[in-house]
Amino acid sequence: MSERQLLVGPFNRVEGDLEIQLDIRDGHVAAARANSPLFRGFEMMLQGKDPRDALTITPRICGICSVSQSAAAAFALADAGGVQMPPQGARAAAILHAVENLADHVTHFNLFFMPDFARPAYAGRAWHAAAVERFTAQQGSAVRRAAEARAQLFHIAGLLGGKWPHTLAIQPGGVTRAPDARDRIRILSVLRGHRRYLEEVLLGGAPEAFAALQDIPSLESWDSGDAGLFLRIAADLGLAQAGRGPGRYLSAGAYPLAEGRALAAGVWEDGALSPFDPAQIAEDLSHAWMLGETAHPEAGRTEPDEDMRETAYSWCKAPRLGGRTVEVGALARQIVDGHPLARALAAEGGVRARIAGRLLEIARTQILLEELARDLDPDARFMDPAPTLREGSGTGLLEAARGTLGHWIRVESGRIASYQIIAPTTWNFSPRDAAGTPGPVEAALVGAPVGAEEDTPLSVQHIVRSFDPCMVCTVH
Amino acid sequence: MTQIETFYDVMRRQGITRRSFMKYCSLTAAALGLGPSFVPKIAHAMETKPRTPVIWVHGLECTCCSESFIRSAHPLAKDVVLSMISLDYDDTLMAAAGHQAEAALEDTIQKYKGNYILAVEGNPPLDEDGMFCIVGGKPFVEQLRHAAKDAKAIISWGACASYGCVQAAKPNPTRATPVHKVITDKPIIKVPGCPPIAEVMTGVITYMLTFDRLPELDRQGRPAMFYGQRIHDKCYRRPHFDAGQFVEHWDDENARKGYCLYKMGCKGPTTYNACSTVRWNEGTSFPIQSGHGCIGCSEDGFWDQGSFYNRVTDLTQFGVEANADKVGLTAAGVVGGGIALHAAVSALKSAQRKTQDARSKEEV
Repeated sequence: MSERQLLVGPFNRVEGDLEIQLDIRDGHVAAARANSPLFRGFEMMLQGKDPRDALTITPRICGICSVSQSAAAAFALADAGGVQMPPQGARAAAILHAVENLADHVTHFNLFFMPDFARPAYAGRAWHAAAVERFTAQQGSAVRRAAEARAQLFHIAGLLGGKWPHTLAIQPGGVTRAPDARDRIRILSVLRGHRRYLEEVLLGGAPEAFAALQDIPSLESWDSGDAGLFLRIAADLGLAQAGRGPGRYLSAGAYPLAEGRALAAGVWEDGALSPFDPAQIAEDLSHAWMLGETAHPEAGRTEPDEDMRETAYSWCKAPRLGGRTVEVGALARQIVDGHPLARALAAEGGVRARIAGRLLEIARTQILLEELARDLDPDARFMDPAPTLREGSGTGLLEAARGTLGHWIRVESGRIASYQIIAPTTWNFSPRDAAGTPGPVEAALVGAPVGAEEDTPLSVQHIVRSFDPCMVCTVH
Repeated sequence: MTQIETFYDVMRRQGITRRSFMKYCSLTAAALGLGPSFVPKIAHAMETKPRTPVIWVHGLECTCCSESFIRSAHPLAKDVVLSMISLDYDDTLMAAAGHQAEAALEDTIQKYKGNYILAVEGNPPLDEDGMFCIVGGKPFVEQLRHAAKDAKAIISWGACASYGCVQAAKPNPTRATPVHKVITDKPIIKVPGCPPIAEVMTGVITYMLTFDRLPELDRQGRPAMFYGQRIHDKCYRRPHFDAGQFVEHWDDENARKGYCLYKMGCKGPTTYNACSTVRWNEGTSFPIQSGHGCIGCSEDGFWDQGSFYNRVTDLTQFGVEANADKVGLTAAGVVGGGIALHAAVSALKSAQRKTQDARSKEEV
């Protein structure tokens, strides 16, 4: 029996900083501890500020999902002030947000996840030459095409939001930019360009065809585009079995529109869907360098433990739903929304399921965006006035690219009295809780094979990246 | 020192044609505000000079600068610049991971000692001995000091590295500190903005690589070519400011007409940046064009100036042309605090230029 410890990190090609401590026994991970080594204290800075300033400050938690953060702040303020966006305002906000989510997925696949398969360690595999040609970091042909497609897609964010990242246009009462008829045409034409990219490169087929896949056998027979390359690699390396999550999936529902959320909210476990009750959320601080008791975010506080006590190992709090871990992300969203392929992947729950779930969401988001843009009505109102907020509290829950994002705000005498944020990667990369239950990624890593010579184990890289961690959001 | 290839070699290796290369040179000349006669100069420099290695490190930040950079500009310019600088070390984009990545950083430092540009995104938090931002088991501030020691110049990307940005907002929980307060013995170019515009980032790098010296800097250490004018000076809504036509509420009739956003808290009158000329997302738009005021993210302390939606001054009576500049200048005095008035800046510029030239001869 051989035992050793390994510190994996810093991780590259993830957003922000991440370190993982591994206990390795007989060539497999026996235990993992995820450390988020970056703390900035946003929740502390927000206290005492004008509530509206959350719209500007919270997006700066993260440069890759800033629209999600700004939308969550706007929803929380709207909730606190009893404000509703006019239908077309909600639609424009949804377009802006969906563009960011779609671009994040494309980036993750091409820039963060796939380049690992171009590593020399895989030389000799049937697909390796293709992976090197397509995905070598910064140089592969797919990487270049993706960067270009993404820049094009962000023209929509430019049109509706002025600039990306750190877009300011989403407000509690709607969006500041009322798109005119010309904007609508331009948005549709950018989307047509993006559809071509998906059809010719990423999916290698119509988004409708990919979204119509019903089960795992039909997924496995999809062999075109870079999606097909991934599925061949996944089959060869057994990625379906790698890195299984907790099997409980949460989604707060994405893109609130006048007719309801475009993707449904809920919790999926053991083949059954139950409603999502935000009151069941609590953040456990037992293994975080944070002071205080386990609390619901409305009552939560952020006070770093300056002594960095021995029993803790991360700046990340450990959010739990009804005391248990849940996995969030594109796969969770598609499962909860009821897509048959995603439901089939729910039981599999590993690296392949997460990536396939994301590809599925890419296809479906493209289709959704086209519908949303087609029905933009330039003559309608895009923002209603929101009264100045003096007192009140509110919650903003939505789905960022990486999963469920929540903002909880309390306003007293016109100032922010409390602001708490739970980001998607806080859920997925949380440390252990008081019961000693590891967070989703910590649990998913257990059992991953580690070669005797490996000090940056490939299996660990694939599992960690399949969650698409955004570490800057995690601790904030 | 090892022989380094030229920019041109690198580009050709990356499959960029001669024609595209020449096109890039003229685009760059235009972006930098140089005449067509500079095109052959840029081309010649790139054909003969060894490329400058760049090390890109990340501290306390949100990665928005990288995000802006990798989707920059003209696809051609982005390709060329990316291959040109070959980001020898970059956390977010590079292929290696873990210990290999740290080894790559060390190799690059040793290989190009005294010769590389250190690009810093984010900043070091100093409280708790720097433990709020840990890279490879060590505080980021140590990595920064170590990498800075042998750099020939430092670029502070974005408001974080330049000024501290929002994580330095009161009470600055981690004591996030801008780069120039930690590294005091190297030339530092500040490229602020949250994030900086992609074209500005590539423009600054291209200038340094082409002319082998720092661009002319303003009093705050920002490249004057991009930070020489106020947003307000080149804002397409400026005529409405001058005519006293303002948006009063979000999405009111005046908003639809594209009136001035001054009353909605726009900080354009006190902000020096290129947003209103270069624009964002490949020239698509900029915040004011989306109907939201500028928040002044390229200015020091923009995060702690009262609400982002407060007007820059309490003046209620203005609108005639003669007063417009007075309003702007008063506002600059009231809110900007650290911002020098335009005239003062101009006066300082010539002095700055001299120091700069001297410095570039000595150090760069």
